[in-house]
Amino acid sequence: MKKITERIKNILIILATLSLCFVLCLILQYIFNDSALISAIFVLGVYLVSVLTPGYIYGISSALLSVLMVNFAFDFPFFAFNFTIAENIVSAIILLAVTMLTCGLTAKVRHQDAIKADRDKERMRANLLRAVSHDLRTPLTTIYGSSSALLENYDNFSDEQCKEMLKGISEDSQWLHRMVENLLSITKLDSENVKIIKTETVLDELIDSVLVKFAKRYPNQAIDVDIPDDFVIVPMDALLIEQVLINILDNAVQHAEGMTSLKLKVFTISNKAIFEIKDNGCGIPESNLKDIFSGAYTTISETCDTKKNNAGIGLSVCASIIKAHGGDIKVENEKTGGCVFRFTLNMEDIWNE
Amino acid sequence: MNNNKYKILIIEDEDNINNLLKALLETSGYQVISSKSCSNGQMLFASHRPDLVILDLGLPDYDGMDFLKEVRKDSLTPIIVLSARTNEKDKVDALDIGANDYVTKPFSSAELMARVRSALRISRRSIGEGKLSGVRFKSGDLEIDYDARRVFVDKTEVTLTQTEYNILAFLSKHSGKVMTYTSIIRDIWGYYDINSTKKLQVNMANIRKKLGDKPGKNNYIVNELGVGYRMCEIDE
Repeated sequence: MKKITERIKNILIILATLSLCFVLCLILQYIFNDSALISAIFVLGVYLVSVLTPGYIYGISSALLSVLMVNFAFDFPFFAFNFTIAENIVSAIILLAVTMLTCGLTAKVRHQDAIKADRDKERMRANLLRAVSHDLRTPLTTIYGSSSALLENYDNFSDEQCKEMLKGISEDSQWLHRMVENLLSITKLDSENVKIIKTETVLDELIDSVLVKFAKRYPNQAIDVDIPDDFVIVPMDALLIEQVLINILDNAVQHAEGMTSLKLKVFTISNKAIFEIKDNGCGIPESNLKDIFSGAYTTISETCDTKKNNAGIGLSVCASIIKAHGGDIKVENEKTGGCVFRFTLNMEDIWNE
Repeated sequence: MNNNKYKILIIEDEDNINNLLKALLETSGYQVISSKSCSNGQMLFASHRPDLVILDLGLPDYDGMDFLKEVRKDSLTPIIVLSARTNEKDKVDALDIGANDYVTKPFSSAELMARVRSALRISRRSIGEGKLSGVRFKSGDLEIDYDARRVFVDKTEVTLTQTEYNILAFLSKHSGKVMTYTSIIRDIWGYYDINSTKKLQVNMANIRKKLGDKPGKNNYIVNELGVGYRMCEIDE
């Protein structure tokens, strides 16, 4: 479907550019009564086409077309084809050569851009990997250290100490679990534009599932929930959106210092579902606000010595999930303190387009 | 403690997990047989006739799903699938082929033991009673009288439509087990079309509202997003 519209677009570009050239030439010839400008104008037109369209096909076909047009309308004999005159053939060959060269050049530039983008992506991935491996060491230290200590000197520890160490192991392995889930989502979304599969999800069921999971992790953290009474269905990959909500809530609990209230609100405006997570904690420093979703990869490496800093990864996962859904995610500081995360999802089924 | 212990077969190739499961189950008073491959598991299953199987999907010789299919040809022994595959589709497939439950790795011991108890309870109930006439279902404040087709919450009757009652009764008869959307739809409407899932979702929303469920509270019916519903068993 997309390929066909792309093709139509390119053909339209050729037709528009060439007819513009043609009209321009007619006017110029009428004014100056001279055909010197004509090949120059068509060369420009063909050049534009080869810059605007991908590959060789469109450029060459527009070159051939313009050779025909020039030959037909502007070279002697006027308004008739004649390829026997040497002058006409030479101008045709020049036009074709110019096109081939421009196409080759633009293709080369495009190729280099692609390589550069690939390299950037690769570097980002390497950064992420480095940050993650570094982050993984902290919980692994707890798990490895505590378990080997317990194994070797079990009898030397008091009951209290044993329990404390086991608790540490359990907490840190849960943290690892969450980290792995997030990494899995990243790879899932990164692999060659995989289209996420949206299924119709009942809002109540989603929120219920999120709250149950959240309560398991933070039994003492209350959440104010405000969702529509109506039966609302939003097409989404429910597990991914659930992860987004949990990551944002988790982020609030971990980083919003001094938070006393945490609110989750969902409402609908025309065909959009809007999710809002609001806390009244310390807010986010203005300097971090801008790249909290995108630049997080690079900032992690500077701050990863602070314990369990998985905020960067969690939030950038949120951003890529919402982006893959064709939605929008933002974070703002509130004037009254704290911050609010807001993301939107379309309620119209994407297949109905 | 009775000496007639439940026999549980573990099929899991990872030594550490195998040991963990064995320790967990034995301290809870079950008799455990363990196997590290599919073919060996099949042999043990045939010779020991366990009361329950805990099955890993990623096994060295065959896929756990093959074991599942093979066993389901002639046996109703409850099987709990244990897997690192978290896709909704994998869950639905395993459940539709005949797994009684699906636990994703990593799991907490409490969660796994609850699933084991509930799977054993369901199988005992269906063997022991055959039909459910004269039986009432109870879970916390929720009570279902199957003979009179009436439902009570906290001793007050709740009025449900035919379909709503049928869904609730179906879930309660399989309480503790995840029922996939397809299995519920097949039982309630008998056929499946594109609107079935939506129809089911609307009915479920009404049921939850009538039972007084609120998102995030300890509800009678648990959502397994993208998979199905599970009726909770809250101990009396």
